[in-house]
Amino acid sequence: MKLILSDVRDLPIKSDDKYHVIYNDGNLHYCIGCFGCWIKTPGQCVIKDGYSNMGQLLSRCDELILVSKCTYGGFSPFIKNLLDRSISYISPYFVTRNGEMHHKRRYDNVISISAYFYGEDISQSEKETAKSLVSANAVNYDGKVKNVLFFSTAEEVKAVLI
Amino acid sequence: MKTALINASPKESGSASKALLSDLKSLFLDEHTIKEFLFHTPNISEEEIKDLCNYSTWVFAFPLYVDGIPSQLLSCLCEMEQLGVDCKNIRIYAIVNCGFYEGKQACNALAILKNWCDRTGLIWGTGIGFGGGGSLVRMQGVPVGSGPKGTLGKVFQELISAILSQSSIENMYTSIGFPKFLYKVAAEIGWKQMITANGGKKKDLKRRM
Repeated sequence: MKLILSDVRDLPIKSDDKYHVIYNDGNLHYCIGCFGCWIKTPGQCVIKDGYSNMGQLLSRCDELILVSKCTYGGFSPFIKNLLDRSISYISPYFVTRNGEMHHKRRYDNVISISAYFYGEDISQSEKETAKSLVSANAVNYDGKVKNVLFFSTAEEVKAVLI
Repeated sequence: MKTALINASPKESGSASKALLSDLKSLFLDEHTIKEFLFHTPNISEEEIKDLCNYSTWVFAFPLYVDGIPSQLLSCLCEMEQLGVDCKNIRIYAIVNCGFYEGKQACNALAILKNWCDRTGLIWGTGIGFGGGGSLVRMQGVPVGSGPKGTLGKVFQELISAILSQSSIENMYTSIGFPKFLYKVAAEIGWKQMITANGGKKKDLKRRM
């Protein structure tokens, strides 16, 4: 399954057995840093707002597609919030990876990350930050980077996703 | 000189960000005017922004979340850009506490904050990536500059020098002053204690859904 997190509505892809698309329904609560998804209800976020199963969804996907406004070289608040709420995908235990401390896997699936950033005037510095950020995300998931692409508008992203 | 200390942890109590700002505050002289601001939620009012603009230096402290800035702080930064930060010549400094041992892992979060400065016309001062920050909450009795907080004391002195001279310097990265393997062992014992305190079993930490 390909999991799509999008801050752009009405992508030309519908949720089915191949894709699962997550949009902003206006109810997403921000991560409060309680670690409840590790130490109270392991594997699932304790906030009941319809987004508590993010870790579980990540465990079922082979590709994570992020469609986001490029925000200072990172993701938009909505997409970042979804990622913050997804840490139950990994284990609280530590492992050394690339010579650095990271979290151990909870699941066996290997995720490829594709990031589609859009914005009218994304600076070179922001592009470099975004590429570095997605690489770091992939290391944390013990996954891979498939693509980091930049577009001027959300409509251009929709066009390439058809 | 007036400095705003901004606790930007989403945790309302018991955060490492609060502990870091408390340690930093202890190093300033009494005549230095300091006010603490709280960015625990995704919203910031125009009144708060106006108040912040009375301070020539802002020091953000926040945890590293998924290699970046916690989403509630990111929302505040976006709101500030949209509302317009009508105050220039303000220098921004940041302290990022990492749950991982290597402070260097905060580099992307600091780059994002610097890019925000570029967008808003604020001046980037410097940032600190502090590894092993999760342990600071239990060390609040330890004076900054001593024992495991020796490394923190060194980077804080550099930070205060930069603030007092209103200068911009390279980002600094360091870790808590005890060995990585001990930090890892202590953290993992902590997870086991917490899950059992919540009525769970140690093996539940590995549960798959």
